[in-house]
Amino acid sequence: MPTTSSSSSSAASSSGNRQADVFSRLASSDPEVKLKALRYVKNQIIGNRTKKLSFLKLGAVPAIASALSDSDCHNNSSILVQSAAALGSFACGFEAGVQAVLDAGVFPRLLRLLTSSDEKVVDAGARSLRMIFQSNQAPKYDFLQEKNMEFLFSLLNSENENVSGLGASIIAHACGTTVEQQVLCDAGVLEKLVVLLDGSLSQREACLESLATVLKSNPEAVSRFVGLEAGRYLSYVTELTKDRYPRTRLLSCLCLVVIYNTSPSYFLNMGTKSSLVTTLLELLNDPGQSGDEAALGLSSLIAEKEDLQKLAYEANAIKNIVDILKTGSELNPKRLQGLFFSLAELCSKLEDCRCSFLSLEVLDLLVNALRHKNADVRTAACICFRNAARSVKNLSAGRFTADHVMLPLVQLLHDPSSSVQVAVLGALSNIVLDFSSPKSTFIEYGGIKQLIELSKSMDPNARCSSLRALRNLMFLADNKRKELFYSEVKAQGFASLISDPEPSVQEQAVALLRNLVDGCLNSIEFVFDEDGLILDTVGRQLRKAPQAQMAIQGMYVLTNVASGTELHKEAVMQQLFPQPQAESNNFMLKFLQSHESQLRSATVWTIINLISPSSPGALDRHVKLRNEGIIPQLKNMVNDACLDVKIRIRTVLSQSMSFGDN
Amino acid sequence: MPVRVVESNAPAQVSGSDPGNRSPLPPSSLLAAGQAFSGTQNVSNQQKEEAWRVNVQIQGVDLEHGYLCGTMEALNVPMADTPVITFWEGEIVDGKNYTFYTGKWEATREDDMRHWSKFPSFAPLQGQVESDGGRQLDLTNYPYIFMRWKEQYFVNVGTDCGLTIAGFYYVCFSCSDGSISGFYYDPNSSPFQKLELKTVNEGRSGFSFSSYELQ
Repeated sequence: MPTTSSSSSSAASSSGNRQADVFSRLASSDPEVKLKALRYVKNQIIGNRTKKLSFLKLGAVPAIASALSDSDCHNNSSILVQSAAALGSFACGFEAGVQAVLDAGVFPRLLRLLTSSDEKVVDAGARSLRMIFQSNQAPKYDFLQEKNMEFLFSLLNSENENVSGLGASIIAHACGTTVEQQVLCDAGVLEKLVVLLDGSLSQREACLESLATVLKSNPEAVSRFVGLEAGRYLSYVTELTKDRYPRTRLLSCLCLVVIYNTSPSYFLNMGTKSSLVTTLLELLNDPGQSGDEAALGLSSLIAEKEDLQKLAYEANAIKNIVDILKTGSELNPKRLQGLFFSLAELCSKLEDCRCSFLSLEVLDLLVNALRHKNADVRTAACICFRNAARSVKNLSAGRFTADHVMLPLVQLLHDPSSSVQVAVLGALSNIVLDFSSPKSTFIEYGGIKQLIELSKSMDPNARCSSLRALRNLMFLADNKRKELFYSEVKAQGFASLISDPEPSVQEQAVALLRNLVDGCLNSIEFVFDEDGLILDTVGRQLRKAPQAQMAIQGMYVLTNVASGTELHKEAVMQQLFPQPQAESNNFMLKFLQSHESQLRSATVWTIINLISPSSPGALDRHVKLRNEGIIPQLKNMVNDACLDVKIRIRTVLSQSMSFGDN
Repeated sequence: MPVRVVESNAPAQVSGSDPGNRSPLPPSSLLAAGQAFSGTQNVSNQQKEEAWRVNVQIQGVDLEHGYLCGTMEALNVPMADTPVITFWEGEIVDGKNYTFYTGKWEATREDDMRHWSKFPSFAPLQGQVESDGGRQLDLTNYPYIFMRWKEQYFVNVGTDCGLTIAGFYYVCFSCSDGSISGFYYDPNSSPFQKLELKTVNEGRSGFSFSSYELQ
């Protein structure tokens, strides 16, 4: 409407004028005018992201920085205090603000404020620097330089809570390596930090953050911390998880998560674990930063730990998280990432969790997250998909194969972020396992071609994951599906995959081949294409003393081929004992002596198939196996430690006896 | 395939009875994902003799959690136009995750013992199971694996197909030849319906194995 439009435009213009006017006042030579302008800016931007951005764009930060650096103002403490406060406010929780403050070159000047004789100036400088040190953009601080360490301790020893808090914030920001953790511990930083636990709220919170940083993945540091006053401070941090301030509860939980992940032996008490899980779950409902960080904290706590996943499941974690995701409000990407990671962890091992998660009709939520603009969220959603799809029950029921689920997943194979690509390959590896359902949406979307393309990637992880996906896709596949795959890859292509320089890639390629030659008898013919190039390549790889996992898959390829016709069995014998003899190193004998029971078992299965009584050449092959020392070796293994191997050996020896071999 | 039956090793005893410390059963190559079995289920009742042809395929095995699952296809079911496929989940009796006592599905301990004792390979274990539920038994080297299979849903027909999957199977798997015997238990169905299955080789002269890997 004309009236409203006019009035809003005039309001905007008047606000613009006022902001422009501020700049001339900031540059005024009259200290009073300058001071008022500084106060004005500071009050405008406090807690207001929009205003911060607006002033930032107008160039307020350099203007305030010059007010702080102006030599005429060095003795005007009010100007110093207000300009430091305004700069700190720009930097508070606002990355563009931190960047602008650092770009203005005012950081060294802020540091110098800490040496002022005026307590208020010191305080304002420390507050401002703390804001900067909460950002990843803050300058790195080299603890290994003696003068820096002295300065750090001078901060930690300060009576001023903002100054000592700044010391703790610097540690939390800049301590990143084990060497740095060690140097800080040796200098006595843990003893200094625990004193701050008894200090003000802000000191306590900064201290909890820095403790987590110094203790992370460093068992020696954890043991030192726990040893302080016979565990008093560990108990104290545990107590703080019940504090009335959510931020304190969060930071103490995160500190305990670090301690637990580093040295689980300090957490034998199920009650402590349970209360840690419950507190983090409660904190998920905090709408602010604490809630965002709690989600990642929870996922880190339960990662790889089935007992804690069970505790979280029993505490209704899945429903709580899904309820938050279903609220419909736009959640911070960091929170979304944490929530999906937590769900992923919950679904990583326990089938009950997966079924409970999928029963809450969450697939649409996950599909939406696959299209999120933030790559970390897309990655987390893919990992969540992957773990939920570890449920054979739900895979077999075709829960993940609907078009609206499969299409975005296939599209993510082209995602610009490599972490998303690897994560979606993980999800698809599981989801394509459809137990030979006649219809595969994945194949209809051209998935096979894309996976073959990715199997030639420069990234070994992508090669390995795409081959695993193809292997799963060929599990119990019918011949039509196998033909479709083979027509895209051909013998030469397959031979290259099997000869990949990475053992893990070789393993997946050979496992894929194992599935290809399983099933109906005709499937075996794939390995004989182009003069048996594929079978020759497998034989060559097996003769090269491969790693056990690759050897297991290779021997199962030979087992499957040896379960075919007489011709197939003879072809396997050719690989086992090639001519001329010099090329042979009797790898079969080595595999039978392997510590890996699955390799021994796979090898014995090959032998069982080669001397299967229904085949006419069984006796001749038995003679060859005996002459090559294989049958005598099996006789030595009749009491193999592995029951499965023992049973199979007895099968061979019983067959052997029927050939007249005693 | 003439396979000599391995002598029934007497099951060992474990020291201590904390199930959390037990090892899961070791893998058996014939009880693995992808393995297929074929045979019959005797559904005879007082009125008539009847047996359905049955195909079973194992789709997943998680020994750590004593879990396995797969599908079961009944071929000549009288009231169905097509073979009826169900998805089942299994509990492996390993002393760690599951014991011989079912504790659910309307099966009392007496029902359990009546069914388990029908398997000859259970005889060496019976005394121990009766005295302490089998908590002292170490089944990791025993050449038979005992399980319960419970059908969870119909794969290719609706629940209105006139068939029920309310019951469950007591199952015994022979590690040496891969044969499976079982007894269906449902208080509302004919008692002791016997399931007998053997491994399938798809026309091959030997055994073939496929595998998948979940990430």
